[in-house]
Amino acid sequence: MTSVEVGHELPQWEMGFVDPQRMKTMAAILRDPYEVHWDHGAVRPLGFDRVINQGPLNLSYVANMLMAWQGPSCIRRLDVRFTTPVFEGDALVARGTVTAVDTVDGEQRATCDVRLDRGDEAVLVGTAMVTINAPVDG
Amino acid sequence: MSEEDLHALVGHRFPGGVRTIEHWENWLLSDCTGGGQLGGDLVHPIALFHVPIQGAGTSIAELFELCGAQGAGSVGLDGYDWEYFAPLREGVEYRVDGEVTEVERTVSEQTGRIADRFVYAIEMTDPEGVLTARITNHWRIRR
Repeated sequence: MTSVEVGHELPQWEMGFVDPQRMKTMAAILRDPYEVHWDHGAVRPLGFDRVINQGPLNLSYVANMLMAWQGPSCIRRLDVRFTTPVFEGDALVARGTVTAVDTVDGEQRATCDVRLDRGDEAVLVGTAMVTINAPVDG
Repeated sequence: MSEEDLHALVGHRFPGGVRTIEHWENWLLSDCTGGGQLGGDLVHPIALFHVPIQGAGTSIAELFELCGAQGAGSVGLDGYDWEYFAPLREGVEYRVDGEVTEVERTVSEQTGRIADRFVYAIEMTDPEGVLTARITNHWRIRR
């Protein structure tokens, strides 16, 4: 059993290289026609030379951090803001800090400040609520 | 899009429908995140972007059309608020319903450029009618 206290820093999760090939697969799954995710010709007029990662993928790195910490069925809420675009080739680090621990519906839950960083710059910030010691199969 | 037309979008209901998440879809989705497979029939939580949209009987393209987005760079993400009342599972037929909930027009004092906030909310219920997830997505449409 994991003991979780306010102020606890979550083990960080790293995406070392945002892969444009994954963006293409993601665009197909999402049926996303927004060409900034897969066509370099669409982003050049915007002043960029790299395609832009999908928002859900940015959030997925935070979700992966939370699930690596408390199990694959632990996430109860993700409430986030996207502050700046993420581009192909970026290196990102998901981080989190526990801000509250409560009992809700008989489960112990942690509220966490979460963020996704590119170097010193936050590209996503928000809060997450997770079940502590969530069962592996949900 | 006029401001009147923008505000008329509030309350617009999507057709609604059902959506089942297949194993292949979950596998590819999880692979895209770089986090590996979750195991069993658990669905990666990031499925709460496209599954509610598609299950509600709409699409990203239709949402762009609805809010009048035009061209690359016209759509920005403000944020997501996703609630999970139970884990999502492969092979379960979820009922999906939602609507546009908020809009707001803003005009930059510096540039005069218009940007509209566009918010929609969608709920997913399991075959027993139990609420499984609720999403509220905030987009910004640059005019």
